[in-house]
Amino acid sequence: MKLMKIEKGNLSKLMEHLKKDNFRVIGVTPDGKRFSEKFDETLNFMQSDTPPTSISFKEHFFLKTEALFYYKNNNGAIDLKEPVIDERKTVVIGARPCDTASLPILSKVFNWDYADDFFNRRVENSIIIGMKCNYQDDYCFCNEVGLSQNSEKGSDIFLIPDGDAFIAKTITDKGNKFIEEFAIFFEEYTGNPPAENKNGHDEKKFDYESVKKWLDNNFEHKFWDEAGETCLSCGQCAFVCPTCHCFDIVDEQCGTCAGVRAKNWDACQFSLFTKHASGHNPRDSREKRYRQRISHKFKYYNDKFSEILCTGCGRCSRGCPVSTDILELLEEIDQIAHSTTN
Amino acid sequence: MDQLRSVCRQAISENKAAFIIGYTEDKHHHLKPFIAHNVEETEKLTFNCNAVNNLAVFIHRFHNPSQGKIGIVLKPCDLKAINALVQENRVKREDLYVIGVNCSGVVKDQNKEFSKENTQIKCRSCASKTPAWFDVVVGESAEFELPEDDMAILMKQIDEMTPEQRLEFWNAEFEKCLKCYACREVCPMCYCEQCIADKTEPRWIESSSTTRANFTWNMIRAFHQAGRCIGCGECDRVCPADIPLSLLNRKMGMVAFKEFGYRHGTDMNAPTLIGTFSTSDHEEFIR
Amino acid sequence: MEEKFEPKIVAFVCNWCTYTGADLAGTSRLKQQPNARLIRVPCTGRIDPVFILKAFESGADGVLVSGCHPGDCHYNAGNFHARRRWIMFRELAEFTGIDSSRLHFSWVSASEGKKWVDVIDGVTETVRQKGPFDQYRKMARNIELPIMEEEGVEI
Ligand code: SF4
Ligand code: SF4
Ligand code: SF4
Ligand code: SF4
Ligand code: SF4
Repeated sequence: MKLMKIEKGNLSKLMEHLKKDNFRVIGVTPDGKRFSEKFDETLNFMQSDTPPTSISFKEHFFLKTEALFYYKNNNGAIDLKEPVIDERKTVVIGARPCDTASLPILSKVFNWDYADDFFNRRVENSIIIGMKCNYQDDYCFCNEVGLSQNSEKGSDIFLIPDGDAFIAKTITDKGNKFIEEFAIFFEEYTGNPPAENKNGHDEKKFDYESVKKWLDNNFEHKFWDEAGETCLSCGQCAFVCPTCHCFDIVDEQCGTCAGVRAKNWDACQFSLFTKHASGHNPRDSREKRYRQRISHKFKYYNDKFSEILCTGCGRCSRGCPVSTDILELLEEIDQIAHSTTN
Repeated sequence: MDQLRSVCRQAISENKAAFIIGYTEDKHHHLKPFIAHNVEETEKLTFNCNAVNNLAVFIHRFHNPSQGKIGIVLKPCDLKAINALVQENRVKREDLYVIGVNCSGVVKDQNKEFSKENTQIKCRSCASKTPAWFDVVVGESAEFELPEDDMAILMKQIDEMTPEQRLEFWNAEFEKCLKCYACREVCPMCYCEQCIADKTEPRWIESSSTTRANFTWNMIRAFHQAGRCIGCGECDRVCPADIPLSLLNRKMGMVAFKEFGYRHGTDMNAPTLIGTFSTSDHEEFIR
Repeated sequence: MEEKFEPKIVAFVCNWCTYTGADLAGTSRLKQQPNARLIRVPCTGRIDPVFILKAFESGADGVLVSGCHPGDCHYNAGNFHARRRWIMFRELAEFTGIDSSRLHFSWVSASEGKKWVDVIDGVTETVRQKGPFDQYRKMARNIELPIMEEEGVEI
């Protein structure tokens, strides 16, 4: 770990420089909604006390639609063709701990029985510049899922606001090398080392362990009927979420005798998600699907990969058309869990 | 909103409705849809300027005439959805117990106070703040000041563009679409058992989220809403990519009015626009 | 070397009138522009606007939709229903940038071989003037471009 310092002005210059250098630079759009190459060049989003973007940055690593391969009928024989993936080096700037943490979490599922080359190449090609967060509203719960506003998980370089500048902390070798390569934009940092990364507050909105224990034993419970009652199955929650990673694979035609096999985002809230070819649908109601959403995030993923499939960013709740608040539901589970054990 | 609660309590206890689809307040002081199944639960119902949802969408899920009438809290604008659904034979007037509310506008952002700027776009062109019909009505409507209708401004700008500029404009918008179909799920008028977007044999609308496939999706949805959209603005509100979807629907509504003097959802006994025709429909564009 | 642009036109025609009219043009050996690919459907009432968009997706530079004159529909009212839909869809297409030089409509009866030739020549010429619809095809850019290039779909 190394501590450096970078002035705000220099940070903009660095980004400009990187763009000229053929880097793919991803920041926050001027409306603060999304991560994009067309980001706000004034770097206004580098204020740490604004809400996180409404859509997470996962769309730049796990694409909403991606070609796996192309096929073509060549007089009866099938020609296959590899897709071209954007191999430019990528720099992501302005991501909060609840964004960056998603990459190591997702990496587990994308490297479990099959290593997803697309995802891996993109992550390997990227420098993630995370940033300390000073925002917190009553949808946020990063503390409760083992992260915090200072969490460096997933960052290569972590920025901590320091007046008109940022303290840049290198977390990984990649980050180190990056700072060495672009040393002219950085200065030595001489001040006191920033406060140690303390994981979370003392006061938690819910206790994950008891929620997990409750989920282990309550697949059938009337709580689920109420939790999903007004859900519209719109899937917005999964599409804005940094950790949701379900996809669907389809073949689509291009031209007359060729096609593409594409991997597209999918969501467990959709009614078609589990529909079998026979017509049977094991998760035929919104209540069952909502149970799946919570259970996958807070139980199954943890059982399998020892990670919580949620960074507590609160995006799903802020955007939900019927104001389903995942935090409120977790708090409720916590309460039910306590009232039944005591 | 004691009046609302007492009306709902009565509705259930006197068997006028089996349950009530209404709003409740959550811990953020936002309103969200809530189903009151019994008299006790009606205590949680409320209404104020945060009642943005159009509850008519829930009718499709809970519609089961054998269980009794659906009690539903509706703003005057949401009531149009009921008219439209009756027109389309989706529900029967007598299967519903409509609790109309006199409206004083709803907010755009529930985190902020109601103000001139913080009003839903649809309120800016709202013609009536009192429900046209109801089984029972509650609340008072108050006049409020409204800012300019920015959708109308945007519409004008697009009307002045060349075709190439228009395509470019929509290109940039639809590029953002995530194909989440939230616009469809939230829409009271999108109730197809199987949406054309989910059909796979043949696959009319590619499920990939390329700009082109997003374009087809949004065009077809807009066309399926042509002369059917009641302008509740829910699709706009929920789109995570902030695409001004209701521009398309509004355009279609304007065409329906210009060409046929037709406004959907204003008269529950009127025949639908696309399901009917007139031998004198104009055709100067046909060679 | 500048090659002359030859537009691809997709024509959706009804079985009973326009298709037969086009057939008549052929059997009468009337000369016509060869740019149109005809797709025969039972009735104009069957032509869902999604067909039109599919045609553009598949590389059409222009689309023609044609059926029986009002009153002549084999199924009595299919074309009246279609006409009302076209009135709406045209405006939608116009609003999103598919203007009336790319999207055409006509009534051609079974006996109007000559009219078919006039229509198809007129449409082809209008679209030729307008040029290739690259702007639409480029919307596929993220995943389909490589294969479309190989397929010979000009971008
Ligand atoms: S965003 Fe809300 S309504 Fe939509 S699927 Fe998620 S929980 Fe359900
Ligand atoms: S489930 Fe909700 S709070 Fe958790 S990571 Fe996803 S969007 Fe954020
Ligand atoms: S299309 Fe949009 S504005 Fe129209 S009825 Fe549906 S949700 Fe409401
Ligand atoms: S988009 Fe069309 S097919 Fe799909 S649900 Fe809406 S009206 Fe039905
Ligand atoms: S809600 Fe918005 S992002 Fe989702 S499918 Fe509709 S237009 Fe696309």
